[in-house]
Amino acid sequence: MWRRVANGSVPYLLVAPVVLVLGAVLAYPIYYLVRISLEKFTLFELVHGAGPYIGLGNFRSVLHDSIFWHTLLRTVVFTAANVSLTIVGGTLIALLLVRLWTPVRILLTVGLILVWAMPPVVAVQVWIWMTNVQNGVLNYILTQLHIGNYDGHNWFGTPFSQLAMATTLIVWGALPFVVITLYAALSQVPHELVEAAQIDGARAWRVFKDVTLPVIAPILYLLTCLSILWDFGVFTQVFLLIQQPAIVPENYLMGVYLFEKGFLAADFGRGAAISILMLVIVAAMSIFYVRRMVRVGEVT
Amino acid sequence: MRYRVFAVVAAALVLSVVVATTAQSSRAAGQTLTVWLQVDAQNGWPQVVAAANSAFKSSHPGWNVNVQYQSWGDHLQKFDATIAANNTPDVIEMGNTEMTKYMAAGAFSNISAYKGNFDNSGHWLAGLKKSSMFNGKLYGVPYYAGSRLVTYRTDLFKKAGVKKAPGSLKKFEADLARVKSSHKGKGFTPFYMAGTDWYSALSFVYDYGGTIATFSHGKWHGALASKKSVAGLTAYKRFFRSTSPKSAAKLNEANPAPYTVFSQNRTSAIFGPGWFSCCTGKKYTKVTGQFVMPSHKSGKSMPGFLGGSDLAVPAQSNSQAQARAWIADFTNTANEKALQAVGNIPNATNLLNGTVNDRAAKASWFVPTAKHWVDVENGNILRTMLGQILTGQLSVKQAAQTASANIAYTLNQS
Repeated sequence: MWRRVANGSVPYLLVAPVVLVLGAVLAYPIYYLVRISLEKFTLFELVHGAGPYIGLGNFRSVLHDSIFWHTLLRTVVFTAANVSLTIVGGTLIALLLVRLWTPVRILLTVGLILVWAMPPVVAVQVWIWMTNVQNGVLNYILTQLHIGNYDGHNWFGTPFSQLAMATTLIVWGALPFVVITLYAALSQVPHELVEAAQIDGARAWRVFKDVTLPVIAPILYLLTCLSILWDFGVFTQVFLLIQQPAIVPENYLMGVYLFEKGFLAADFGRGAAISILMLVIVAAMSIFYVRRMVRVGEVT
Repeated sequence: MRYRVFAVVAAALVLSVVVATTAQSSRAAGQTLTVWLQVDAQNGWPQVVAAANSAFKSSHPGWNVNVQYQSWGDHLQKFDATIAANNTPDVIEMGNTEMTKYMAAGAFSNISAYKGNFDNSGHWLAGLKKSSMFNGKLYGVPYYAGSRLVTYRTDLFKKAGVKKAPGSLKKFEADLARVKSSHKGKGFTPFYMAGTDWYSALSFVYDYGGTIATFSHGKWHGALASKKSVAGLTAYKRFFRSTSPKSAAKLNEANPAPYTVFSQNRTSAIFGPGWFSCCTGKKYTKVTGQFVMPSHKSGKSMPGFLGGSDLAVPAQSNSQAQARAWIADFTNTANEKALQAVGNIPNATNLLNGTVNDRAAKASWFVPTAKHWVDVENGNILRTMLGQILTGQLSVKQAAQTASANIAYTLNQS
């Protein structure tokens, strides 16, 4: 009897650590997040340890804030631009890798891995030095090459240029993962198919579209989904590159908006409401990703 | 098999208990006072910190002081996190514009009863003392203040035939024009100022009798669009355009630091905190001079922003008495004099001795003492306005009206 009960409980015991860990690192914080999103929770309440319940007040004030909607739209456009550049650039470099002489390929791969290994905070600092208005190497080189007089050119003069600089940094940092994954996927494209298509007179674009693309499509889809999720919530690069003294509603992205309203203004209830709204948006976007994953699982 | 599972679970439990208890005991046993100071102390006057620590340790045997240096950009967010975790430092340095929000929230201990323990507390600088008080109670100890000065290259001014410090803004502009024609260099402008440096720019507003916001009938009213404020902003725009690099219109004073521009021989004068003289470059140390920024009214000085810091004891600290003792050691007369020697204004009027810094402090302005002022700073409302004015994106009046409305809205939040 005892043995049977004990045997029956083994699966639960096995799963218990995972449940405990998930409960501790995910469920409780989310519960707490929802709780303070329904409370007035500013610095005063933080110091005193509890806030009064105000229902959906925080959500109402966020949804009535025109800055929120502008920021959301800007973030969607920003994400679309970054993901397109990452995926298209990544595919082109991966295709290049396949064709390269091995030593060059190794050199390029090492370069990509070094990029990957660089922490974003360090990369941001290097970017800031390179684009420095007074002594940046970028202004120097462009001026020396007679591309124009870039002496004293400010690369962060407008919200557009600020976000464009952030894009260069984000895409640069995102490329290695995409390139290496796609390179692996490309190695799955059967040689004989490519050869057959070429013998039948297919040009490079046709070969890519009808032979290569179908094989790497699932991976491409997965990478696109992941990139969207990552770029939508991007914070580190944008915040550190533009820097707090230059951060204004005109260059907010969702991650920065959340930080400014929630943490900088020390209105944690409102911040919690914003992050729940972001969570809902991201969850809605990942439905496609999850559905695809499930479908891939069913097919194989 | 199941015994192994039990063993793993049991081991994990034991481990977590051990971790938890060690964390507990190390906290209880630690006779350590945690002090948060800004990096300015680390760079500018480490010897003062060392002197305070050794005085504190000799009067408190067995205690250690752990000074952790913070940067202005993120120290409040870090402090908020320590409040949430109930693990605040025992002493914290706050900028004088940052105090009100935290005093209003009850984050600091009321130290009114211990005021007499601090040297010169009867003569504290009025501006700093005001920033340490809320509802008539004292929550902070003035640490030091800094006024704003013009730091300039004496050799270049001499070469241009400028013999003495300018007596008016107009004269200063003329002097800078002479420097410009007598000294040529790549990217050189006679004056350098980051366009959105509001601490410096708004001095023009106060010079023309304007102000940022006024309080009446229980409400804040934006005042930047007033006739006097607009006159000040217009004067700023004219001065900037005739003396400073156009590319700096949308830059801020953090990147690049004005003294860096100075040290690279790209300018002959900068306007900022007195301690800017620290970092004008080895090559130019001997030819670095300072004077008080002149007013548009002849013979007067332009009011400068009176920046400064206070030291407070967070309410959650378990070492309140020790924290107060350390602050008393850190702000004693000898240490305040040492701070003065490196270009700061000491915290008490009886220590002032007529240096160029002290003279500059005589005419000064301060931000509105409102709970939400720090949100105006964080929202970069003033910087946005200055950028719009200098680039010509908006007229002075339009930009000032927008900023003024934003400021009133922010300050009147509940």
